[in-house]
Amino acid sequence: MTIRRDPRAELERRRQRDAPAQSATEPSTARLRRDPRAERAQRRLGGEATPPPQPSSAQRAREASAGERVGAPGPGPSPAPRFIDAPACLILAVPDLEAGRLTAHDRDLLGAARILADSLSGGVVALACLEPAAPADDFGSAGVDRLLPARDAVFAGYAPEAKTAAVLAAIERLKPRHVLLPDSAVGGGDLARRLAVRLGVRLAANVQRLAADEIACRGDGGRSDILRRPPLIIALAPEAAEPVTGARHEARALDPMAFAAAPRLVDGGLAAIDPNAVPLKEADFIVSAGNGVTDWNAFHTVAGVLGGAEGGSRVVCDAGLLPRGRQVGASGTLVEPRCYLAFGIAGAPQHLQGIARCERVVAVNTDLHADMVKRADLAVIADAQAVMPALARLAREKRG
Amino acid sequence: MTPAVAVLVSAGRHPASDRARRADRDARALELALRLSPPGNLHVIHAGDPREPALRDYLGMGIASLIVLDLPPAADPIPALIEYLKGVRPQLLLAGTAAEAGECSGLLPYALAQALDAALAADIAEVALAGDRVDLLQALPRGRRRRLSAALPAVVTVGSAAPPARPFAFGPARRGRIEIVGAAAVPDAERAQWQLRPARPRPKRLKVATGGSADERLRAATEIAPGRGRLLVDPPPIEAARAIWDYLLAEGIVRS
Repeated sequence: MTIRRDPRAELERRRQRDAPAQSATEPSTARLRRDPRAERAQRRLGGEATPPPQPSSAQRAREASAGERVGAPGPGPSPAPRFIDAPACLILAVPDLEAGRLTAHDRDLLGAARILADSLSGGVVALACLEPAAPADDFGSAGVDRLLPARDAVFAGYAPEAKTAAVLAAIERLKPRHVLLPDSAVGGGDLARRLAVRLGVRLAANVQRLAADEIACRGDGGRSDILRRPPLIIALAPEAAEPVTGARHEARALDPMAFAAAPRLVDGGLAAIDPNAVPLKEADFIVSAGNGVTDWNAFHTVAGVLGGAEGGSRVVCDAGLLPRGRQVGASGTLVEPRCYLAFGIAGAPQHLQGIARCERVVAVNTDLHADMVKRADLAVIADAQAVMPALARLAREKRG
Repeated sequence: MTPAVAVLVSAGRHPASDRARRADRDARALELALRLSPPGNLHVIHAGDPREPALRDYLGMGIASLIVLDLPPAADPIPALIEYLKGVRPQLLLAGTAAEAGECSGLLPYALAQALDAALAADIAEVALAGDRVDLLQALPRGRRRRLSAALPAVVTVGSAAPPARPFAFGPARRGRIEIVGAAAVPDAERAQWQLRPARPRPKRLKVATGGSADERLRAATEIAPGRGRLLVDPPPIEAARAIWDYLLAEGIVRS
């Protein structure tokens, strides 16, 4: 005959047995309670007794909006910010900032700066060269401890000399251990070389991998990796490090940077180019047509007026309505423009693969349940034949 | 007086076959110099081994002579080039953005611009001399171009967006003269400490969703990433057009 178990009695016995051991540390309850304040104090590097500053209401609002954003699933609640009050050294990162926003390359750069700073128990300072009125991007989520703004009207255009002067002044003021820049052709790469010759040091260009004691630069026309000690100026190749995710840093604003420069280059502004002469893969803005477009004159007009490159779905290219080179999708070109304006495209999976890397999508379609409408940032449920001439007319009016 | 125009050329390597060839961007820089009107007083300069076979490719593009500063392989070319260029005093100096062999850091034109006290413009696709100024067209990503202008003297680096170099011909390549100039070799001390290793191609980064539950990660990997979704259902065409225009304007895609 089996004896029936009495789980409640067993639990009671176990609790009594464990109690003496635990009571030394935990007098009242068996279960450990979290102490968020103590945890935060522990996370602080160089931790001293001052209580951590509470995140400002603006920061909390930013966190809330970041949590609400629809997109790739992030960690549900926004992470607790990390504070570094007394960094052992500083890593200065100079992002390119396209129209005041961090580019993908900039986020990789700040991730790399984070790696260096964490292994040297230092902090990351980002120098943001901005126009006076431009809002600063969310640097805290990108892994920046201190934000050093340099605001000047010249940063609205191309001003490599002014930017060099600003970075030189920042180096003079902060004495960073390393200066990291994105190795982009006319942005950070150019700036890094200007800085290197002004400081009389040798830079590490096209850096593929970096640690606190060794970096690998791709040299020899891409055939060899050069292993060397990390110098002051480091120009980082794209995708050399992972961007910071799931952590929030303080991004405390420092006093703005003052600098003086005598520019020699005169910026004449962007030159007008034929958008269709640029390869579709490099196009900045694509106006695309699908099976829902029947008025081709209106389509070519609106693409021309808006200054977008023309693209099309497989159906219209198969039908010979657009040349094959204009096909967007898995069997055509995988495009990555800043904006994709789709007229009458339902959004076959192959087409959506082609536009997976587009930043913004605008769709005009008659079908409310089309996949393209789900993907779009702005979706208009209407006939493309009516919207295209109206949009062309409006654009002409606005331009005068 | 025709301005002195100097072009720096280097020995290149074919990326696939590894054979000696003219460096692509340096050849494009020479092409821009040959297209200049009025044609300047052209100096084509190489610092390195005068017996390098790739140098004949530049002569084959139709230049009469090439100046070579004779340097051993381990020497730093910058001091020798500065020394020589101070004698030439070029008003315009053209070079490729980076070499195809060696460190390939692209620092050399910047060092020369500093030494010659000249303006520097990077990644240029077109050059035109206009009196004592030079008008330039700079190549930007996504096929965009920017107009620049600078007072002479100027150093210009030429990228892959510049027009392709003309093909070289065998006759001029044989006939062309290589003038060897002696130069003081300064050994490159820092380079001796580096370690070289064959480069391995890096895998392309994949977008992997992290965090959230397994179900959320699976959905992120398999489903369409939804937009932030403003939706207009059956608006009048004018209203639809205005919504699209305002969106494009706000995102900086079009300018009014």
